[in-house]
Amino acid sequence: MDNLKEDLKNQIIEQLNLEDITPADIADDVLLFDDGGLGLDSIDALELIVLLEKYHGIQVINPEEGKVAFKSINTMAEYIRNRKVE
Amino acid sequence: MYYISAASSITHQPTFQNVGFSAVIEPLRESSVLLNPDYKGFIDAGLLRRMSKILRMSVACAKDCISQAEIEQPGAIIVGTGLGCLLDTEKFLNNVLTIEGLLPPTAFIQSTHNTMAGQISLSIGNHGYNMTHTQNTLSFENALLDAMLLLDEHGDNILVGAADEAIEFLNEISGKLHFQLTHPITSGASFFILSNVKNVNPLACVKDSRAIGLVQHVGSEVHAFLKENELNAEDLDLVLFSGVGGHISGGVEDVFENLGIAENKSHNYLTYSGIYPTTSAFALHLAIDKMKTDKSLRNVLICNTFIQSNLGLTLLQSIEA
Repeated sequence: MDNLKEDLKNQIIEQLNLEDITPADIADDVLLFDDGGLGLDSIDALELIVLLEKYHGIQVINPEEGKVAFKSINTMAEYIRNRKVE
Repeated sequence: MYYISAASSITHQPTFQNVGFSAVIEPLRESSVLLNPDYKGFIDAGLLRRMSKILRMSVACAKDCISQAEIEQPGAIIVGTGLGCLLDTEKFLNNVLTIEGLLPPTAFIQSTHNTMAGQISLSIGNHGYNMTHTQNTLSFENALLDAMLLLDEHGDNILVGAADEAIEFLNEISGKLHFQLTHPITSGASFFILSNVKNVNPLACVKDSRAIGLVQHVGSEVHAFLKENELNAEDLDLVLFSGVGGHISGGVEDVFENLGIAENKSHNYLTYSGIYPTTSAFALHLAIDKMKTDKSLRNVLICNTFIQSNLGLTLLQSIEA
């Protein structure tokens, strides 16, 4: 099990107050901002930016980066790992 | 004449979707809690997860009213609130004090007073007139007056209501807010559909409403208000008031006694609602419910003297009157 991805799922549930959703309900490749996925919106995008700084010490300066990074749990984990290597 | 075709309240009393509640409610106990319905039946889960108590109450009452009135959309949404979204305000301020770096946006966005009217609008997809009034204990009366003015000009089926929510901190600053804690501080939301057309089953009529600041003599104001509406004190079948004593012109009960209103015709509605700035909206629903079950009630006066310097007067009439 990828601990970073599991941590991210728990952090998203807490930060976005996703009632009735457990980490098991969020597949690694599910589209976070798609109605068929978690159905997140623009306010949630801001919350995810706060989440990255709060839990991972990463500031998202370029909005274009966020568009790619916040697609799914997989892309978020990849983005965090890449930023930590820099 | 302004017809009320729907009424919905979420309070510490069993008011929600409970016609006839006025006959069964008892004076509020210190340990009373807000009686929440299952909000999932009224609010989309995606929106519900962000909503604080006051937003949940407001949106659920608004949707209940729309359903009762059997309308697609209200012509306007007008909300009164004395203190606004306190839970989110408190959360945001705590975030400011405790978080270094970026602040979570949700509590800030939802801390503003107009969030209730905005969330109701978003929840039902309404693009009409959307207004929030915040004038302390006269917020509901001002919202009601706005609705009445709007109906005089144009529009129909206006959703008008009021809400306030309690947080623990209010107990600490009650003196600064001029709250006299004769009853527990509570939360509540009451919404109504107001129309200038007599629909199939109107509940009651709002004949007139008044919001008066810096009031010096309640008795004179009540007398003048009744006179303008061609009524005498003895024409009133019921007076619901929120006096807590120590008024500039004496206790509010004394005012009614001096006007010749029998003691058994006047009731302090704070006994049932508890204390929050917009309890006069609760009183309006209480009066409507009483009038529905007791046809002898034709003229009801709601006299909001919760804070010494503010006076809210609303005259309600039965459909038959």
